[in-house]
Amino acid sequence: MEHWMFNCKEVSHKVSESLDRKLPLLERMMIRMHLMMCRYCARFHRQLRWVRSMARYTQPFGNKSETSVTLPQDTRARLKQTLKSAME
Amino acid sequence: MRMNRIKAEEDDILKPDTWVDRYGDYLFRFALARVKDPGVAEDLVQETFLAALRGLQNFKRRSSGHTWLTAILKHKIVDYFRKKHRELVIEDIETVSETTDGFFKNSGNWKIRPGKWDVNPAKIFEQKEFMNVLLKCLAQLPERLAQAFMLREMEGLSTEELCKSMQISATNSWVMLYRARTYLRRCLEITWFNKPTGETE
Repeated sequence: MEHWMFNCKEVSHKVSESLDRKLPLLERMMIRMHLMMCRYCARFHRQLRWVRSMARYTQPFGNKSETSVTLPQDTRARLKQTLKSAME
Repeated sequence: MRMNRIKAEEDDILKPDTWVDRYGDYLFRFALARVKDPGVAEDLVQETFLAALRGLQNFKRRSSGHTWLTAILKHKIVDYFRKKHRELVIEDIETVSETTDGFFKNSGNWKIRPGKWDVNPAKIFEQKEFMNVLLKCLAQLPERLAQAFMLREMEGLSTEELCKSMQISATNSWVMLYRARTYLRRCLEITWFNKPTGETE
């Protein structure tokens, strides 16, 4: 970067990149400063991290009643047969 | 005790003839909660098992059989949504970047500003619904972008593993993930947080 201040678009790129690698110290400081001053980029940053945590750790099922749903018997037999022939 | 259980599950995953009894109901419920149609859910479970069988030698012992099979199933569900709602799918990556660039003005300031999200992570119901919305938003993306996002953000692959798995450079992976994340953030804002316009000035 030639200039020492990131604009919002640049920050959005860097914030995303920071989820995948450790950025150089100078960039980290520039981002921190920007995030302190810009509530939209701060939101963007929080939201990307929130989406990640939801994507990784969300419980797949809400209420317990759904655990009563099971594969129908004939489907179960058919699946076993399919797997068996695929293994041969 | 816990080690024994993990060991037992590892052994099970190596025996595909036990899969239907051990994982079938779980995968079926997971699929049904997303696609709503029992026939489709059954097909997705079958496709998942067959894909798992083909990829069994790649199974990493650090994840459980459940986690591994569920990850495969999520890809199948996104594929299903992509085929079902073809009209919503963005075909090429260039179009996605036009969309995500459009969130900014030429000056680099926000044009469609991120809105305030009312998040209540404690609500388990919301968590389940969130996964449905996320998979549907993913299905709007070109396959490669959706795949990159799922491998990194859902399955937690490292950048290195992601690049190896998708045959891309690290720089390329950051660009792809940026586009996917930015697009999905906006999609979630519209469909999950119900803010179609973003925050206006």
